[in-house]
Amino acid sequence: MQILKKTNLKAFEKAKKLGPEGVISLIKEKGLAGRGGAGFPTGTKWEMVRNAEADERYVICNADEGEPGTFKDRMIIEKNPETLIEGILIASYAVGAKKAFIYLRGEYTCLKSKLNKKIKEVLSKAKSDLKIEIFVGAGAYVCGEETAILASIEGKRGHPKVRPPYPTTYGLFGKPTVINNVETLTNVPLAVMFDDWNKDTRLHCISGDVEKPGVYEAPLGEKLSQAIERAKPKGKPKAVYFGCFGGCMPYEKFRDLELRPEKVCEGECMLGSCTMIVVSEKRSIVDVATNIAKFYEFESCGKCTPCREGTMRVLAMLQNISVGDAKPEDIDTLQELAEVIKETSFCGLGQTATSHLINALKFFRKDFEDRIKK
Amino acid sequence: MEDKEAYPDCLGLLPKLEKEQAKKGWISEQALKRISKETGIPISRVYGVATFYAHLHTEKQGKYIIEICNSPSCYLNSSLNLIKFIEKELKIKSGQTTKNGKFSIHICSCIGCCDKAPAMMINKKVYGNLTEEKVKKILKKCR
Ligand code: SF4
Ligand code: FES
Repeated sequence: MQILKKTNLKAFEKAKKLGPEGVISLIKEKGLAGRGGAGFPTGTKWEMVRNAEADERYVICNADEGEPGTFKDRMIIEKNPETLIEGILIASYAVGAKKAFIYLRGEYTCLKSKLNKKIKEVLSKAKSDLKIEIFVGAGAYVCGEETAILASIEGKRGHPKVRPPYPTTYGLFGKPTVINNVETLTNVPLAVMFDDWNKDTRLHCISGDVEKPGVYEAPLGEKLSQAIERAKPKGKPKAVYFGCFGGCMPYEKFRDLELRPEKVCEGECMLGSCTMIVVSEKRSIVDVATNIAKFYEFESCGKCTPCREGTMRVLAMLQNISVGDAKPEDIDTLQELAEVIKETSFCGLGQTATSHLINALKFFRKDFEDRIKK
Repeated sequence: MEDKEAYPDCLGLLPKLEKEQAKKGWISEQALKRISKETGIPISRVYGVATFYAHLHTEKQGKYIIEICNSPSCYLNSSLNLIKFIEKELKIKSGQTTKNGKFSIHICSCIGCCDKAPAMMINKKVYGNLTEEKVKKILKKCR
């Protein structure tokens, strides 16, 4: 796997020779883009922070992968922490930060002490006086949102904030801040170091109704069926969920779909960070939808009304449908509610909380109708 | 526009709460007051932060806090049966604590072990590929 290659601080040495501006233009040239899902060009982000006027700047490594079905950050932190730390070193050098944070999700607390040891090792080997602090989250999905991370580190409830101002100019404690995720930062030294570094390699996390769940490396644009077959589906796959937020699509109909953000969007899903949860044909989508609705009802941070109240109502209605207690018109009401939540929620969590349901009602409506009281 | 209320030790708030949680297993009212004093952050905000996060508890918990994942990948791998099994074994429901103060059960969101579903954590330690037998053994070790 490309992501597991080591650079042994040689990339950092090279970066220092290039100078901050040099590294930034190299990263831009190589075309590294954020791997969290939004795909913002990394070099451009760094440049914005570097050029923002301030006496202090920060780098935050987002290690709060909370999207259900996603576990590649865990793999990287376990298997290639050196390269991740080197990526943080290079980012901090490029933007002129003296302090960096790794926002580690609470569920990964068990990785903390090993990672801390590695940080010490790498920093002393690099003779760098950068400070890298691990900040452990405490279990909140919304903290994957970058402004919520900032609030969480600043000792507040992890509520998202209005953007703009963006963290690149007004971030942690009001200072310009780079926020990159684990996969992005680990790619930094690899991009700096290797001429054959491929920007179009993606890590797929595949789980659910499969024999071989795991992290797989694949080229961007691979067919959906190729990706799913690799994990050996149990029985015939009925649907693929792109995490909870990315929505779902029927497998047979879209088996030849190319896995590229643009293409998947046309199929009305979001590829995000390439998480795929396989659901086999023996299941009813109503049950999966109810399970996901529970997740969102629990994780809604409560700041805005459509998401806080809406996710609760969606769950209640789905539970009604699953026990066969709903009337035909309830399906239409559910659909309308799902769309209102999508349109009116404040942050990404609420805006995507019902995409799975909207798709499910479009592609698997029969599953819902089958549970309606006759 | 932006709330700039920076308290002297806001950076230390969450770590302090986590430390208390790890040490005592929960965060009592007294502890909240103490942390408010230490950090200079008003008690209302300390309480607000403590109740925001799923891993912080402001009610007394058992010695072993079991958090079982019920997000989709685990759900598709029978997490519901497992939850029922653990509830039966310990004779409590999720969200409750056993009378002897040993165990609490919580249903939680994805813990990033979907490749080893179904998965759970006990006091932050992760256990994956769970079966009823495996869970029985793990619980026995705790007892
Ligand atoms: S959409 Fe949901 S998670 Fe986002 S701010 Fe509103 S309540 Fe919080
Ligand atoms: S869904 Fe259970 S660990 Fe991810």
